[in-house]
This record gives sequence, structure tokens and C-alpha cells, in this order.
Amino acid sequence: MTMAAAELLKELSKDDRLNRIAISDTGFIFDPQTGQSFTLNRTGLVTLSILKRGSSIDETAEQLSHQYGITEETAVNSVEAFLLQLGRYL
Amino acid sequence: MDSSADFTDIGTWEPPFIQPHKMGALNKFGQRTVRDNITREVFGVPVSDLVRRYGSPVFVVGEKHLRQNIRRIKTAFQQRYNLAVHGWSYKTNYISAICRILHQEGSLAEVVSKFEYEKARFLGVPGDQIIFNGPNKPKDILRRAIEDGALNQADHMDELKMLEAVAEELDKTVKIGIRINFDTGFTEPWSRFGFNLESGQVNEAINFISRSNHLRLSSLHSHIGTFVLEPRAYAEQVRIMCELMRKLEGVENVAIDTIDVGGGIPSRNALQTIYLPPEQAVPDINEYADAICEALLAGSRYRKEIGKDLPRLIFESGRAVIDDAEVLITSVVGTKRLPDGRRAAILDAGTNLLFTAYWYNHQVKMTRNAAGSEEETVLYGPLCMNIDVVRHSISLPPLAAGDQLVISPVGAYNNTQWLQFIEYRPNVVLAQESGGCSVIRQAEDLGVMMAQDQIPAHLASFDVSGKVRPLNRSGNHPVLNRKLV
Repeated sequence: MTMAAAELLKELSKDDRLNRIAISDTGFIFDPQTGQSFTLNRTGLVTLSILKRGSSIDETAEQLSHQYGITEETAVNSVEAFLLQLGRYL
Repeated sequence: MDSSADFTDIGTWEPPFIQPHKMGALNKFGQRTVRDNITREVFGVPVSDLVRRYGSPVFVVGEKHLRQNIRRIKTAFQQRYNLAVHGWSYKTNYISAICRILHQEGSLAEVVSKFEYEKARFLGVPGDQIIFNGPNKPKDILRRAIEDGALNQADHMDELKMLEAVAEELDKTVKIGIRINFDTGFTEPWSRFGFNLESGQVNEAINFISRSNHLRLSSLHSHIGTFVLEPRAYAEQVRIMCELMRKLEGVENVAIDTIDVGGGIPSRNALQTIYLPPEQAVPDINEYADAICEALLAGSRYRKEIGKDLPRLIFESGRAVIDDAEVLITSVVGTKRLPDGRRAAILDAGTNLLFTAYWYNHQVKMTRNAAGSEEETVLYGPLCMNIDVVRHSISLPPLAAGDQLVISPVGAYNNTQWLQFIEYRPNVVLAQESGGCSVIRQAEDLGVMMAQDQIPAHLASFDVSGKVRPLNRSGNHPVLNRKLV
């Protein structure tokens, strides 16, 4: 796991930041802090929903690996890359 | 925790991705999206049928479209100047069937090399229907062109000397043209071709021809550039050429019967350097015809006053004739997410087939309704080269392997400048005006690729000792199945 992704997750979890993001079932998300809106792809929607519950990178990856039938290594890499994207926008 | 409790459909796996919305801001793709531009057929033939019958990728030419183009362009010129003649620029697309269609429509052949000259003759074009341009005309082909009665338009002084020598050998008096270049003030001067007017090279050439016992100057040719978006540039070109014609006709033995304005008229394609869409950036062909013909009528009016015939006008449009009469159907072979978050798709056709992708943003149409949000996408070709990019940035819905895309316009310069590099070149199919399709250039295969290769005998086997060990019973090379040199 890269430190950058772990640090970002820690930062995004502060002050309930992730939990305050509104997510629709279709992948439309709204960040009330910045007023920006975004679209998630389906896997992004699933991943962000898991992260919002306070899951760690490893826990999130484990669930994705289980649900999609991918290796945990792939899942960890993907979650970390996704967190780096979130860090750019949120 | 189980996220599947939240979603009845979790979709199939792709890396998670977030895309920001840029509401209220104009984006570079404008408002029309590729999703609005679904096409399921090209030139009246279903895309799926074409791929099933001829494979992917495949080029498709619309015969009816091509004939309509050339008729429209010729009408635009001939209704303004009835001595206007079209010369089909072979280098734009010299697939035999394309050339035949244009010759059926009355176009001359405009060729620029030994190969193109021989091809035009092979296709049955009489010598006096050929305009022979270009800077490299070896003596043997120049001799043939003179014997055939083709119009040779000289590019440089050494060619003039060669023309003189061949004409002397043949003991003939030959009517020739010269290519000239000058600054119209509108386009970047193409000074590398022909004789420069401002520096006096044109005078030198004319003096040489005047002294010759075998050459007669009968044609002035110039070509001011490519994808010229300003019709007034042509008006200025013709004005300068007519001024020169009038001056020259005071000289003994000069009777100009042809003004050849070359080509360069743009097609409705999107140059990467131009922001406006082609519908707005590219003037209609009638504007070019107006500019050229009006300037020619004005510049040659003096001839009517002295009872001389008006000169013939040759225009050598290539891309304006063929570009939008051909499309390329290509298939997605894979998709990926780039590290910077952009989507990417790998196509089975790249810059090996679509050389013009280096300077055009071709139109790309989907052939099915695709679900999912549109994102900036890069379209790569199949080559193992970083520069093999068909579109650097286009807004597309999610693509999947097997999706077919229709890329257009591709008729100009792709079937001539395409590269035999890494991949076989595919079928080119004609969607016939009368219905039905026919292959007009067969896809390459290993036999085509190996036909020109020759393997010296000492390389016949993998044995470095040099022993020749033919690997099949008949003593032939195992792949070529023929005797080695």
C-alpha cells in the first residue's frame, strides 16, 4: 500500500468529509463543501460506498476482490488509484 | 459490510473512476456528441455486413458519392468557364477503380512520378490526356511521355535540359509547360517547386525555352499550397499567372494555351490547427470556382480583344473530390484507463492506415447506442509506436472490445500514403452506385508481403555454418515454397 493513498484516505475521513458527500444510485455525486458534482462509474460507486462506511484500503479491496472475482492485488491497486483521483477533486 | 446490499447491479469489473462535471463552461467538444452521431450504415450498406464480408478494418468508397462530388465540382467550374478541365491528382488516391471512375467522368490524369505515369497508361489513359508534373522525371519516362504526347510541366532547369535533349533525340518539337511559384500574399509560398517568379528564375527558364529548337512553351502551372481556406488566394494566383501570360505572349514562339492552377482546395475535414468545425471553416466549392474563373476571365480578356482563343483552365483538385467519399470502419480491440484517468481504446486501424490522422481530427461515429457517461477518450492504433494515435482527445461513451467505429472523411491521401508497417493493409471496398459491393483493392497477406523478398542461398537455413539445408522435400524454402536466389 502506498503512503500517499493511505494519507489521502485519512485526510478524506477527517471531519466526516467522505460521509457528507451525496451519492445517487446512478453514480452522480455532489460535494457540498465545494459545490462540485461528479460522475462515478459503477465500480467507483461501489468503491466509494464502501469507503464511506469507514473501511480501510485493505478492507475495501477485499470486498471488491470478493464481489468482482479479481485478485486482491488488483483491487488494492485500483482502490489506491481511485483514492489518488478523489484527492485531486475533493 | 457488503456493498452489494446497496446495489442490485454492481456491473462488471473495471477500475473505479470519478469524472468531474464542468457545468456551464463550453468545452472543446461543443454540444454535439458522438452519441448523437450513430451510424449503422455507410453509403447505404450496413456496417455489420461490410465487416462480416470483408473483415475489419475495411475502407469503403461510395461510388455514387464520388461521382456526385466530381460532377458538382466540374459543374461549378465549367458553368463559369467552359474551357475548364479537371485533372485527377493520382497521388490523392490512385486505386485503379477510383481512377477509372474519375476518367469515366472526363477527368485527365495528373501524375507526378514514373510509377503514376505508368499506372495511368496501364489504366488506358491516352498520353495526351496526361499532365505530367513533379520534380523527379527520369529520362526514360520523360521520353515515353514525349512520345505519348503528354503535357510535361517542368519543375527545374535540369529537367528543361533533359526535355530539350530528349526532344532533340526524337527530332520533335514538343509543347511543354513550366511550373512557377510566387507569393500571393495569402498562403505560405511553396517555393521549392518550379521556377520562382520574383527572383527571375522564370525568365531564365523562358529564355532557355525560347532558344531551344525543340521546345515550345504552351502551359503555365502553379500550385499555391494545400488545404487553402481562402478563395481570394486563387484569384491572386490567377491574376499573377495571367499577367505573366500576357507578358510572355509578346515573346516570339510563345503561345500559352493552358493555365493550370493546381489543387489545394480543401475538403470538409477538420485540420487539427483550426478551431472552427469544417462546416464553418471550409468555403463552398462555388466560392473557389468564382474566384478562379472570374480572375481568369478578367486576366485573359485582352486575348478576346485581339481575336485569340481563351486558354484552357486545368484544376487538379484531389481531396475535395474524394475525401468524403470514403470511410474507414475499424474495431475496438481493447480498452484501458490511462494513469491520468483518461479512457483509451485500442483500434485495429491506426496511423499505418490513416496517415492523415497526423493532421486531421477525423470524425468518429459509433455504430451502436452505448450506455454510460461520455468521457475524454484517446483512440490508439494497433502499432507498437507511441505516436500511433487516431484521435488524441474525443468525447465518447464507454467503448468495448468488438465495437465498430466509422471514421471519415478518409478518401484523400490515406490509400496512397498508408504505411506497410507491422500490419497487413486491409480490403478497400466499393459500394457500387448500382447496388452491391466489390473489392477494389485486396487485403494483403503473407504472400503479398513476401513476394518482393529474396533470400540469398547462404541464408537458406538457420545453420550459421552456411550449409544449405532446404527445409522441405522439393528443395524449396519452407515459407516461400520456391527456389532461393
